[in-house]
Amino acid sequence: MFGQLIVSGLAVGACYALLAIAMVIIYKSSEVLNFAQGEMAMVSTFVAFMLLDAYHVPFPWAAALTFLFAILLGIFFEIVFLRQAKDPTVIGLIIITLGFEMVLMGFAGWKWGPDQRSFPFPISNIEAYNFYGLIISKINFWTILITLVLMFILFLFFRYTKLGIAMRATQQNQLAARVMGIRTKWILSFTWAISSIVGAVAGMLIAALGILDPPMMMDPLLKGFASAVLGGMTSLPGTAVGGAMLGIIENLFGGYVSLAFKSAVAFIIIILMLCIKPSGLLAKHYVKKV
Amino acid sequence: MLKVKNIETLYGLIMAIRGVSLEVQEGQIAAILGANGAGKTTILKTIMGLLEDQPDKGTIEFLEKRIDGKDAEEIVHLGISYVPEGREVFPELSVDENLKMGAYTRKDKKGVKEDFERVITHFPILSQRKNQWAGTLSGGEQQMLAIGRALMTRPKLLMMDEPSLGLSPILVQEIFRIIKTINAEGTTILLVEQNAKMALKISSYAFVLENGRIVAANIPDVLLEDEDVKEFYLGIRSEESMKGYQRWKKKKRWR
Amino acid sequence: MLKKNLTFIGVLMVMVFLIAAPATAQKVRGVTDTEILVGQWGPQTGPAAPWGAVARGTDLLFKIINEEGGIHGRKFKYYLRDDSYQPAKTKAIAKEFVEQIGVFAVVGGIGVATGMTARDYLMENKVPWYAPITGVYEWISPIQKYLFAQYPLYDDEAFNLTGYLHEKLGYKKIAMFYQNDDYGKQGAQGVERYLLRKKISLVAKVSAEMTDRDLSTHALKLKNSGAEAVIMWTMPTHAALILAESAKIGFKPQWATSNTLSDSALMMQITKGLWAGMINSFALELPDSNLPLMVKYREWHKKLAPQERWGTFYYAGIAFAEPFVEGVRRAGRDLTADNWVKAMETLKDWKGISSPITFTNPMDRQGGKHVFYGKVKPDGNIERLTDWIRITK
Repeated sequence: MFGQLIVSGLAVGACYALLAIAMVIIYKSSEVLNFAQGEMAMVSTFVAFMLLDAYHVPFPWAAALTFLFAILLGIFFEIVFLRQAKDPTVIGLIIITLGFEMVLMGFAGWKWGPDQRSFPFPISNIEAYNFYGLIISKINFWTILITLVLMFILFLFFRYTKLGIAMRATQQNQLAARVMGIRTKWILSFTWAISSIVGAVAGMLIAALGILDPPMMMDPLLKGFASAVLGGMTSLPGTAVGGAMLGIIENLFGGYVSLAFKSAVAFIIIILMLCIKPSGLLAKHYVKKV
Repeated sequence: MLKVKNIETLYGLIMAIRGVSLEVQEGQIAAILGANGAGKTTILKTIMGLLEDQPDKGTIEFLEKRIDGKDAEEIVHLGISYVPEGREVFPELSVDENLKMGAYTRKDKKGVKEDFERVITHFPILSQRKNQWAGTLSGGEQQMLAIGRALMTRPKLLMMDEPSLGLSPILVQEIFRIIKTINAEGTTILLVEQNAKMALKISSYAFVLENGRIVAANIPDVLLEDEDVKEFYLGIRSEESMKGYQRWKKKKRWR
Repeated sequence: MLKKNLTFIGVLMVMVFLIAAPATAQKVRGVTDTEILVGQWGPQTGPAAPWGAVARGTDLLFKIINEEGGIHGRKFKYYLRDDSYQPAKTKAIAKEFVEQIGVFAVVGGIGVATGMTARDYLMENKVPWYAPITGVYEWISPIQKYLFAQYPLYDDEAFNLTGYLHEKLGYKKIAMFYQNDDYGKQGAQGVERYLLRKKISLVAKVSAEMTDRDLSTHALKLKNSGAEAVIMWTMPTHAALILAESAKIGFKPQWATSNTLSDSALMMQITKGLWAGMINSFALELPDSNLPLMVKYREWHKKLAPQERWGTFYYAGIAFAEPFVEGVRRAGRDLTADNWVKAMETLKDWKGISSPITFTNPMDRQGGKHVFYGKVKPDGNIERLTDWIRITK
């Protein structure tokens, strides 16, 4: 049982981590908590569903088109809503994301209806691999693997590509970035695009693990937020570790202590973390010299 | 090289620059002197295109081309680089990455490599700190990094805002020595400084800015003899200060 | 000038008074010479939105009745409001129904917590309320004069279902998976009540919160209990999740569930076929039933609401409003709340498209007491296992 709890905890934690990373990418560049993150992912997942189910597009193409949609959705939101805000405060921007969340929720309900659907993911969510007695369902295995690969790609991107470094530079010092000739507005749109893609991957995995319906991201987003807090809202590796930890802790708690309070664990972690170490698990933050 | 004509810049409803004209010749080290809040930084930011919809009035030409109203990214591309006040390095990027960002707009890999070598020769300490986060550097090292980073854009005109701020006297000497070398290698420099003594020592032309207006402009030798400059910027008091104050008031009326 | 102003203000005040004055001319709230106003709330958005089809099904019934000429010269005017399954909204909607629209009655209404915020208010205002669409004790105990319940009690339904599993199918190790609210708890109560009588205990009792999306731990706990049969009392999402999670770890007990999850077409789709084999209790006729009433409704559905899926939740909206309409018919032209109540109390084994309905005992407001059992076939159709069975304590 212990092994099973760990594996399924890791799989669901991987999804939390992806959502959290999507949030953190935005937060780092604009200090905005994107409450629309979950719904953006949900709508993207519905687009994938529509392509797969109604138009019978092969999965790789459907995924690619979904990512394209996610990019456009992220950029659209940033340019059409956030950028239009006059003299924006962080709170004001957060409220705009809340509004967008409701718009997307309403849109999804209107366009696709409230019924639950099963998401036609190429990997079965029923079959399992048997590793010497430890049963790992295919979907859990692939969720963890896809998440790791995506994280590694993100790591390489932010670490070694010019664009990735420029994104970090813009996050850290917008003025200096502009002086270097970096188009910071463009970078910000790009940030939303990347975040939206990461969210879309999380959305598809969550739908594949369970079920697709408009409210599917409510719970994962909350857990994602808890993971982001574990990572101090700024550290991507910290966030990834936070997500995995949260998934495992939650499952162990549910398995051995109390199922009824399983979901409350995330809240408790948020509160404890904010009280004890708000800078996050892997905090390595420099303190500005005066 | 750089011609600024009658620019006016607004910060909200406050007019920070009230009709400034200045010209920087190729090869010069030009300096803008003035007290805190005189509008020195605003001039540089206006030239750099960092203030949205500014200048409100007036024109800026660089190499015979109008650049007022253009974005910072374009202006960088045209060959102006800017070292902002307070260094403004990217604190959680390594020294290497900071320099890489300096060459963000450039596509000529070979040239970038050359410039990288050049920066390292100017600031050998940076190569030792290559993989360290810029935020962990000392103030002087950060200033060097900021200058190095600006050089990486291979500017024709390098604008520096208070490079001596917060540095020890020895470091100030060092920084100014490097500025002179950079200039000697062919980069025109526009310097903003509160440290008028130092600035006048290395510059070939200087402007004195007060309340958003230029009140004096000349070669350093002349300015060094100017009573006002002596009293207000160099701290040399040649008369009773009451008298100085009256003269200042008299001049003010003319403005 | 002043005089002119005064006149104007005077006229204005008279107008305001006229508008605000209660419609004293109308004797019964929500009943006019030509119309009967009826309201229903139901989640059209939010997590419980799939159940919102019920309220739209009721709309179809009223449309059919109106198309057929109405009742005693009156047609139904139906107000459907979305409460998103949020009790605070439900309460506001109930107020709107009574104070702004002035409905004659409320029909249906999904949810226990939602309905409970409105119950006392509606009763104080003597608003007839027919068939809240949940089978909990809150609707019938204590007895409320104007409140009639049709949905079989979860407690009884679960009690009987457990009995069916134990006595007819011979399962001894039974586990319970339920939603941690009144709905799920009363189901669990019925299961435990039966097992207690047989001196058996549940091998596992696992609950899920409404918002839970990861049920892997829940499935593991069920599996580790060694259960041969699992009864579930949850919403569709959790039913699908628990089946998928159980399948992942190779746990394949006999599943059984309530009428609330009887929309097998939907359940087959969202479980990718795992729903097959489910033993289900039904309080409504099956969707493809050849009962003349069902045939008639299906034809009207094609004509009036072809955009809706003919699913269990949708035609439940018809089933849970039919007896109300019958009450209105029996009350005659002189329709008042009290006359309607009297008329309802004459219903005895009245059969629409749900189980037989009886309200002849004024001390028992629980009208529906029958279910039948069916097993979901691999093609999603239902193999009917029994006829209508009376479920009693």
